[in-house]
Amino acid sequence: MKKTLVTLLIAAASAAAQLPPVSAPPHKRAAGAARPAAAAAPSYQDLKFPPLRPIQIPKVAAFTLPNGMKLYLLEDHELPIIHGVAQVRTGNLFDPADKIGLATMTGMVIRTGGTRTKTGEQLDEQLENIAASVESDIGESGGSVSFSALKENTDEVLGVFKDVLTAPEFRPDKITLAKTQLNGGIARRNDDARGVAEREFADIVYGKDTPYGWDMEYATVNRITRADLQDFYKRYFFPANIELGVWGDLDTAGMKAKIEKLFSDWAVEQPPVPEFPKAGGQTAPGTYLAVKKDVTQTFFSIGQLGGEFKDKDYPALVIMADILGGGFRSRLVERVRTKMGNAYDIGAGWDANYDHPGWFEISGGTKSLSTVETFQAIQEEVDRIRTSEVTEEELKTAKDTALNSLVFAYDTRAKTLARMLTYEYYGYPPDFIEQYQKALEAVTRADVLRVAKEHLNPAAFTTVAVGNPDDFGRPLDSLGAPVHMIDLTIPQETPEAAKGDAASLEKGKRLLARAQQAVGGAGPLAAVKDYIRSYDLQVEPSAGGMLMKETDRWIAPTYFRQDIALPKISVFCDGKAGWFATPQGSGPLAGVQLKQVQGDLFRLYFRLLLSDRIAGRTVNALDDNTVEISDTGGAIARLELNAETGLPQRLLYEVARASGPPIPNEEVWADFQEIAGVKVPRKITIAQGGRKFAEVKLTGCKVNSGIQLQELQKRP
Amino acid sequence: MRALRLCAILLTAAICLPSQDLKEFEKKVTEFTLANGLHFIVAERHEAPVVSFHTYVNAGSVDDPSGETGIAHMFEHMAFKGTETIGTVDWPSEKKALDAIEEVYDRLDAERNKGPKADTTRIGVLQAQLQMAIDSAEAYVEPNEYLRVIETNGGSGVNAGTSLDSTEYYYSLPSNRIELWFLMESQRFLHPVFREFYKERDVVLEEYRMRVESDPEGKLTQDLLATAFAAHPYRNPSGGWPSDIVNLRRADAKAFFDEYYVPANITMAIVGDVNPADAKRMAERYFTPLPARPLPPLLHTVEPPQPGPKTAVVDSPTQPMVAIAYKRPDQYSKDDPVFDVISLILSSGRTGLLYKDLVQEKKIALVAQASATFAGGRYPNLFVFFLAPSVGHTVDEDLKALDDLLGRFKARKVDAETLARVRSKARAEVIRRLDNNAGLAEMLATYYASYGDWRKLFTSIDDLNRVTADDVQRVARQYFVLPSRTVAYLAQPGPVGTPAGAPGGRP
Repeated sequence: MKKTLVTLLIAAASAAAQLPPVSAPPHKRAAGAARPAAAAAPSYQDLKFPPLRPIQIPKVAAFTLPNGMKLYLLEDHELPIIHGVAQVRTGNLFDPADKIGLATMTGMVIRTGGTRTKTGEQLDEQLENIAASVESDIGESGGSVSFSALKENTDEVLGVFKDVLTAPEFRPDKITLAKTQLNGGIARRNDDARGVAEREFADIVYGKDTPYGWDMEYATVNRITRADLQDFYKRYFFPANIELGVWGDLDTAGMKAKIEKLFSDWAVEQPPVPEFPKAGGQTAPGTYLAVKKDVTQTFFSIGQLGGEFKDKDYPALVIMADILGGGFRSRLVERVRTKMGNAYDIGAGWDANYDHPGWFEISGGTKSLSTVETFQAIQEEVDRIRTSEVTEEELKTAKDTALNSLVFAYDTRAKTLARMLTYEYYGYPPDFIEQYQKALEAVTRADVLRVAKEHLNPAAFTTVAVGNPDDFGRPLDSLGAPVHMIDLTIPQETPEAAKGDAASLEKGKRLLARAQQAVGGAGPLAAVKDYIRSYDLQVEPSAGGMLMKETDRWIAPTYFRQDIALPKISVFCDGKAGWFATPQGSGPLAGVQLKQVQGDLFRLYFRLLLSDRIAGRTVNALDDNTVEISDTGGAIARLELNAETGLPQRLLYEVARASGPPIPNEEVWADFQEIAGVKVPRKITIAQGGRKFAEVKLTGCKVNSGIQLQELQKRP
Repeated sequence: MRALRLCAILLTAAICLPSQDLKEFEKKVTEFTLANGLHFIVAERHEAPVVSFHTYVNAGSVDDPSGETGIAHMFEHMAFKGTETIGTVDWPSEKKALDAIEEVYDRLDAERNKGPKADTTRIGVLQAQLQMAIDSAEAYVEPNEYLRVIETNGGSGVNAGTSLDSTEYYYSLPSNRIELWFLMESQRFLHPVFREFYKERDVVLEEYRMRVESDPEGKLTQDLLATAFAAHPYRNPSGGWPSDIVNLRRADAKAFFDEYYVPANITMAIVGDVNPADAKRMAERYFTPLPARPLPPLLHTVEPPQPGPKTAVVDSPTQPMVAIAYKRPDQYSKDDPVFDVISLILSSGRTGLLYKDLVQEKKIALVAQASATFAGGRYPNLFVFFLAPSVGHTVDEDLKALDDLLGRFKARKVDAETLARVRSKARAEVIRRLDNNAGLAEMLATYYASYGDWRKLFTSIDDLNRVTADDVQRVARQYFVLPSRTVAYLAQPGPVGTPAGAPGGRP
């Protein structure tokens, strides 16, 4: 699952040691007057720069502690601050498939859940009182616990850091909080079109069934237990699996001694951590469209699986991608933004990774109407860079840009230490960045053409477009490739029925039989083949206060029609499919609406009570008065019987929602009246999510009046 | 105080400021003003051979003329299009071609101005002519040369931004190329050429589509400001309203530039591996030709007192969000530091009261943050709360929880420990700024431009430290009141044809 890499891991797209001096080429045009006060403007081509002052690369002291933890120390006395980060070899790539989100949640709760001796709140106060911090995080292929402190608070904060790293308590209230936050993120993941494009692109390119391409869902998050978090923590957080880097206003010898002593009692061992899973080859090239109607631009990501930093061709690929779409001087920006005015945001990058293939991505946004035109222009630019050499000027521009800005990879000591930690972590040579600089300098035009030909395969690109196809002007498939639709629906969490054994199933049957007897007998129940019922539904003031008048019609087994007067809505369902109609428009029943109506049908009174004779349904006793009824389609309802009378008095079930987990519903049945030999409740009180929602009064009920299917199917 | 920019969630940085820190830092700073009024602040930091530059123009979208919203932002885009010598292959011919565009456009506008009497055929012809003129001028352009020069010389973090209060231009260079900045920055303000103006208008419109029309939070913020302010230009989006954008003319940008980009209205900060004497010499050499011009007129529109609480609803098929804003005075008010302290108490870190209550304990919000100065500080502005309800919870619930919290906040004075924590964080923030050239350059320029003294970077902390619990309570009681409140929230549009308004089934 794509996540930002661990704090301070720099994906070094460019870096180098000292730069050879570069001076401006001699000026070709006539020289202007020496003083700018005169007419001619000074030209940048006349400027001569002195050589760049050499950068002192600071020395990092490296040790291995007795418990196996690696320690790196770097002094920086400019400001009275200390920072540290413990890099842990772990990541969400190790999530089990049914608990995606486990690593992320562990990373959150290590800090928020407090330690053995202090709650999270106590840590918050202690740290914030001295403007210090200790944080934890687990990303895709790395985890960390970090700290930042004023020099004078070093000892105190180191103590807290050690406790958080070695003795997190995972208190339950913070697990609940983490789930709330993660579920909130899931619910909001389709709200931002650019985010959708990025996510879908990465997921499709890596494969949605792989650790690189799958996403958390409500079901996977809610399954995670405290024991899961503790086990995950235990497996990966041990000294031999950790690199600790500390830098700032410290003294090397003193800090080494401090840390050794601090961690001297932490000697847990675990087997070495396995390799991260390998990222597969591209699984699904093609054009994909995710419909989002609330945007006026199409957000796109186009590309393919890429490579690693240590690939031989990486430097040439960086130059190639830079010329194609790396900045204002690039082909895509000049054409699509500057010349066509079609985009504010457009670019391309060869985004490599340390230990698994990254990707090549062209991304941006264009107004809906220009979608096809923009995609075409992009296709042409990709073809162009694959068929003819870039110009000498383009090559020079790209190389100068990369090489002249390399100084910024060294401009802080923190970057030096971070780079060292990263190279150690991924097994890269310490001078990798210097090698990279040399390779950059050597890239030729022929190299750029060769790597574009060999590594870019436009016929197998994954194109993800997120936008409103109604406004595209020309349809997306006019570009030649068939378009696959992406379903952005967030999977609802499906509640799971309790497991039954022979005894509970037998008991369930008996309980249901008791309920059948109490209402008048299975015979009269089964004799009801159709009904027309009308209701008054009074919604609570806090939920709107409406009074709705509703008429339902049913024909056995599963033909259902509902008509509401205000708002005017009609619904028909045959058990599998159906339609809805309102004055504003109509359409097929789908998604959440279909689920809701199917739920109504599942719980239809005359059928629910006869569940023991409906194929596919299971009737399972949960206790002496409660029976849980479920079917193979995943529908579940719990029926509670009155202990004395056996009458069904309470029904519990969950209702699907458009976003978020399903919401629990409770119906209380009262005021039973006999109709055609069957007792039927006339008053139903509905509570939703624990709060009273509405009161229903049955105002009329006719059974077996011989209504015909055509009547139910007739559109209003 | 917008310029203070204290992070809403200060989770990192533990720094302590020794009492002599300002004195220490002052030794590294050199300031000077050229005869034309242009002010320079140079701060030395020789740790690495890099330098950061920050140009702060004290004019922003709040200064857009009526009917021309977006012009300040448009000029910011133009400032990268080059000069008479940068970005062109033949200036004399290009100039003629650019003037020709304007001449056709003037005729087009004249015809359009006839309103219902306009000749639509003639308009069609003129539009085609206009497009041809634009295409002709394109032939003389050396595309993006200005930016290319900066990037190939190692420019890092090259960008610019237009906010309501200001327009800022910034980047960093390897320190042996400092002179390049002096040349390029002076040239763009001495001889700007507004080339590719009408193409860039399209780009600016794309930016609006991206930031506002296709972004729920962007829509929310836009509506919050447009509702809270009835008269004052803080009501307008920084990028301008789309119908204004598509009608902007080159002459508008030139007029804005002439009026607002006067040397006395501009501050330039240079931080890093720089020799102040060299910097002064180069400043005089390259920037002296910039002619002194009078300062632009002050904005005189004052937002009238809010007649009562306001609410705005933004239909959006996305998850809910709500912004709650209270009117507050400008950043020059003596109570400005109190608002900053309140913001820190309510929404800094995990001890922030909003976080503790709504996010951590009640779990009814995913995000609960305060912003003390929104969206600008030069004029009376807003103290804003942003809340994002968690799944299964509503805007109403979050609003009620916020109201209850503010009620308690006003009723009970904050305790000494809370104030001490705020002061500790504020002191820490100052040192954090000192280890970043670009951030420091931004702060120095901003404080000088806003208050006339860069030292406010440090003394603002003293202002914060003087805020008492009484101050906090007084300001909260005075300003967090219903008649001054504007609420804007995202709501799902009413369901069309949802069957059964009530959930669940009936037997």
